[in-house]
Amino acid sequence: MLFSKKWDPKGKHCLVTGGSSGAGRALAVELAKAGAHVSIVARNPERLQKALEEVEKARKTPEQVFRCYSFAVNTESGSVAAIEAASEPFGGRCPDAFFLCAGASRPGFFIEQSEASLKQGMEQTYYAQAFTALAATKAMVKQGIKGKVVFCSSILGYFSMVGYSTYSPGKFALRGLAETLQSEFMLYGIEVHLAMPGTMYTKGYEEENVGKPKITLKLEETDEGATPEHVAGVILKGVRNGKFHITVDFIGNVFRASSAGASERNSYALDWIHGLIGYIALPIWRKSVDTAVVGHRAEHQEYLRERGFLSV
Amino acid sequence: MPDAWVSVSLTSLALLAGLVLLAASVNMFGLSKRWDPSLKHCFVTGGSSGAGLALAKLLAQNGAHVSIVARDQAKLNKALEELEAARQNPQQVFRAYSFSVNTEAGSAAAIEAASEPFDGRCPDAFFLCAGASRPGFFVEQTEESLRTGMEQTYYAQAFTALAASKTMVQQGVKGKIVFCSSILGYFSMVGYSTYSPGKFAIRGLAETLQSEFMLYGIDVHVAFPGTIYSPGYEEENRVKPKVTLKIEETDEGATPEVVAKIILDGVRSGKFHITVDFIGNVFRSSTAGSTERNSYALDWVHGLIGYIALPIWRNSVDSTVLKHREEHEAYLRERGLRS
Repeated sequence: MLFSKKWDPKGKHCLVTGGSSGAGRALAVELAKAGAHVSIVARNPERLQKALEEVEKARKTPEQVFRCYSFAVNTESGSVAAIEAASEPFGGRCPDAFFLCAGASRPGFFIEQSEASLKQGMEQTYYAQAFTALAATKAMVKQGIKGKVVFCSSILGYFSMVGYSTYSPGKFALRGLAETLQSEFMLYGIEVHLAMPGTMYTKGYEEENVGKPKITLKLEETDEGATPEHVAGVILKGVRNGKFHITVDFIGNVFRASSAGASERNSYALDWIHGLIGYIALPIWRKSVDTAVVGHRAEHQEYLRERGFLSV
Repeated sequence: MPDAWVSVSLTSLALLAGLVLLAASVNMFGLSKRWDPSLKHCFVTGGSSGAGLALAKLLAQNGAHVSIVARDQAKLNKALEELEAARQNPQQVFRAYSFSVNTEAGSAAAIEAASEPFDGRCPDAFFLCAGASRPGFFVEQTEESLRTGMEQTYYAQAFTALAASKTMVQQGVKGKIVFCSSILGYFSMVGYSTYSPGKFAIRGLAETLQSEFMLYGIDVHVAFPGTIYSPGYEEENRVKPKVTLKIEETDEGATPEVVAKIILDGVRSGKFHITVDFIGNVFRSSTAGSTERNSYALDWVHGLIGYIALPIWRNSVDSTVLKHREEHEAYLRERGLRS
């Protein structure tokens, strides 16, 4: 049930959103090292320039085309414009692979959210990638290109916990979209991949932790994160090998195997083992999470009182 | 090869036994007390039709106070009559309120209005049944239609959950929130790019809040029904792609009344994820990950069945999609979507 041929980025045009920082930038560099043409898309022109310089350093052949484009991709028109611009050096031919790494996380307690912040959360997770996928799909279908769409969800698209009401819904939504398209794109021969990384040591992670509730930080104390370079390496390897869901470490594998349902699995044998481990270990881990949350009640009541939240 | 299978089977059995013991000792069989709707104030969005209306009537039959919220006043009036017909005792308060709940302001206003007959005390349980489905091919969608899809699935319930949570926490009410996701929140397939993302998002929110609300003693439930024979389903099928209809040919749907009964039973017995039939149970068990399970023993059986049956089913879905390629090419060409 794997794609029979390994995919080779060499000579392929890869468009990377969120490509000026974090895992997106690391992926852009990896793709350059692998011989691909790379177009990175983000908003900030200075960051894009810096990222382009790093991609240049990874150049393998003089034929490779490296470009950066400043666009907001969280609208269809912005995504369309970015893809059109990126297709220009290729005589209008659209990219072969779209790595959708745009996204951000602003955790917080649910009762401190507003309609605006929940919508913002959806913008920064789901819409940040969905409209690029839409524009990419229309272009690939129009031009008959049997390309790839790679979504970046999160391990918080497999499970969630206190503090992530602005983040998990959108990451779950990306998974839902990827599941739909993995089926639907069999109509076109376009392949879908879904990366589900955990903690990545990036600027984004530092920003995320600024507003993160104490209880969430406490629960994540023992998390071993990964560098964006490591994550990018694992994602590219997964795309090469035709994996649909791409997880980045053992914990990710356990979650993946335990949540797969009808999703195409990469290895039914390995997943059995991971799933078995998950069946025993995940409830134990979950119980400790629940206990920590319940133990936080008193401190949280104080927190609410300070903010004038409680009636009494 | 046979030796390896024996080892694997014995290991699995040993682990299963260990698991059952573990589960028993850690008491993971859901909340210990059964919840009784009698004289609890239940707030039902999407309460004028489909599963929402059926739930509202069932709650009325079970002695609850019921406030139904929807947009259409005429449908609400009709629904209120049906609630009256289900009245069990004269104390029950039945009301219908016309509000758009897909904004926080609309939801807050609806909850305020519903709290009025109760001296401002907010409802005890929020059944969020608002939602709609407009399937279609992804390549025919627009930013607008994808956003509308999210509105009609996730936002239709998220902002009511937000307003409800704030009110319950403020007033110290240890209540319940019941989300209505869909079996298309466990898996997806061709045609549902406007629907599955939002139904998965509801699941993501429910998973967050099930953890977070342990801070408040508020319970979270999320229902995952399949096909429901409701007016909404008829509208959905009008625009659904042919290949999706074909794949769903053999689906056995359920009436809103059956679905409502199962949802209420699940809420009563403290189930977090509530599935409505065998297929639902198989999907639930096979996708649960770290989610609180209702029965570790039963889920093992369902999960095992799923491990074998779901890939087979999935393969047949994939085959149907592949066979549809040619017809779809013509479809695309007719609409100028191919160069």
